[in-house]
Amino acid sequence: MSDSALPRYAFAAPQRPWPGVLLAAAVWAAAGALIRIWPDEADFTRLLSTIVFGIAVALSLLAAAGPYLPERAAKVRFAAPWAIALAVALAAWEVITAKTGYLPRPFFVPPQELLGVFVDDWAKLFECVAHSVLLLASGYALGSTLGFLTGLALGWSKAVGYWGHPILRLIGPLPATAWLPIAFFMFPTSWSAAVFLIALASGLPVAILTWSGVSSVGGAYYDIARTLGGSPRFLVLKVTIPAAMPNVFVGLFMGLSASFAVLVVAEMMGVKAGLGWYLQWAQGWAAYGNMYAALGVMAVMCSSLVTLLFQVRGRLLAWQKGLLRW
Amino acid sequence: MVNPATAETALPAGMALEIDGIRHAFTLEGKPLPVLSDVSFNVEPGEFVALLGPSGCGKSTLLRLLAGLEPPDLGEARADGAAITTPDPSRVVVFQDPTLFPWRTVRANVALGLEAQGLMKTRAHRIDEALERVGLGAFGNVYPHQLSGGMAQRAALARALVNDPRLLILDEPLGKLDSLTRMSMQSEIVDLWRRDGFTTLLVTHDVEEALFMATRVIVFSERPARITADIAIERDYPRHRSDPYFADLKRRVFGLLGMDATW
Ligand SMILES: Nc1ncnc2c1ncn2[C@@H]1O[C@H](COP(=O)(O)OP(=O)(O)OP(=O)(O)O)[C@@H](O)[C@H]1O
Ligand SMILES: [Mg+2]
Repeated sequence: MSDSALPRYAFAAPQRPWPGVLLAAAVWAAAGALIRIWPDEADFTRLLSTIVFGIAVALSLLAAAGPYLPERAAKVRFAAPWAIALAVALAAWEVITAKTGYLPRPFFVPPQELLGVFVDDWAKLFECVAHSVLLLASGYALGSTLGFLTGLALGWSKAVGYWGHPILRLIGPLPATAWLPIAFFMFPTSWSAAVFLIALASGLPVAILTWSGVSSVGGAYYDIARTLGGSPRFLVLKVTIPAAMPNVFVGLFMGLSASFAVLVVAEMMGVKAGLGWYLQWAQGWAAYGNMYAALGVMAVMCSSLVTLLFQVRGRLLAWQKGLLRW
Repeated sequence: MVNPATAETALPAGMALEIDGIRHAFTLEGKPLPVLSDVSFNVEPGEFVALLGPSGCGKSTLLRLLAGLEPPDLGEARADGAAITTPDPSRVVVFQDPTLFPWRTVRANVALGLEAQGLMKTRAHRIDEALERVGLGAFGNVYPHQLSGGMAQRAALARALVNDPRLLILDEPLGKLDSLTRMSMQSEIVDLWRRDGFTTLLVTHDVEEALFMATRVIVFSERPARITADIAIERDYPRHRSDPYFADLKRRVFGLLGMDATW
């Protein structure tokens, strides 16, 4: 063939599908076949295998389309090992519970029973998530706002620091759940008591970390702002707060974890709604499937909220990116 | 010597300084550490005074007092006859360390003084002008950690210049620059000073720099700092580094700094 007659790459050859994702599709298909063909006595086995086949089909479509995706989207192919591992784990779980009964019911639940919980009880679970998120958000927003303002006042004002330091030293280490009996007794509703407890749990770390952030702001920054004509208000808003922000976010993350713990306990002890309550209710009926389902939902909820906070930090502290790794 | 008193304003563009019997000490490990012992000198509006002295003798301390960041233990500094007690944006300092705010882009750092004084509406155009002047026109949107040490120093200089100071206090502002950039920045500062007529105090360790730029050189002793010499440099601008007049002066100043052996 002559070099000049035709542009050599005028027609792009069809790209080969992503091999890793293709393999994952095959493993999912195998898992689906195993679930469908091996008989068992559980409900929802057919539905589960249909979903698993659906995932296999989706993965094979992705494998075929993958080479044509833009580079950003193409990163999903690195999740192929995880997709394979999940299918293997699902199959193993299925075998040792539904298929062989090696792990006994009711303490161990086969996957299709968990699926059944979502099919039968999704409305209630959804309501519980909504209730938990609302309660958590109310308490956390209140707590972190007050904690931030308290920390700022402690670090900025000598008088507030003088009076606030011993108080914070004393009540800071007390776990918020220790206030639970008093809170449910003092507050008019269990909901407001729970908001108080969550606010306390999240507010304390935010206050302490904000305070330490404020007190570690270098004097040189203030010197510069002052010689350039900065008023005290300018110093707080444009020097203290931005300089303390990395510390504030450490406090916000600590406060968020603490508030999860308090949320669950408060819902179990007094608030008659939310995922914590659902867990306890399921325990009362020995409905282990419902408990596992609620745990899974709770894990997704908490990790989504943490991810959200990471996103906010990434936005606000973009300037830090070159300074440290996270 | 250049001293263009502007006709429109009551005050001249440069600030007059009187430093009157200043003493200052720090407490270091429980013991008093005298740093400035009876420092007095006056600066006429529009003068360019270079301060030379051994490391650790108290030059930066003196500049902090003049900026109004700390009160002196004894004595008084006056700006245009009024005692200096607080910082004021008419007296702008370029510190030894550039200390840019890491959470602000270079442009936002340079804008700091205008923001603090509420002048962003009327004078924002000055920001890009100042960035151009120090050769950072293309770096307005980057963060300080993306700058080299010398670029950070130039950004700090731009941050001072946008404020139209009447007294510009420079504490080794060119210390981290390579010798070529350094020379061009020296000329740039001299040009600005000649154009705008502000009073300038420059601390430097570079005798040549002091002689090339200033109208007057004040030499300090070891800590606690006293003035050991006050030398007027009678040469017009633009100056030439090869001028033999500077070679003679240089020998004299090095002698005052205790370095006569090598000269
Ligand atoms: N905040 C402080 N507390 C205690 N001692 C200080 C303080 N600031 C400066 N000193 C001391 O004062 C002395 C003079 O410091 P200063 O920074 O004024 O020196 P300098 O002349 O600027 O030196 P260099 O040329 O090295 O910058 C030093 O011995 C230093 O230890
Ligand atoms: Mg110094």
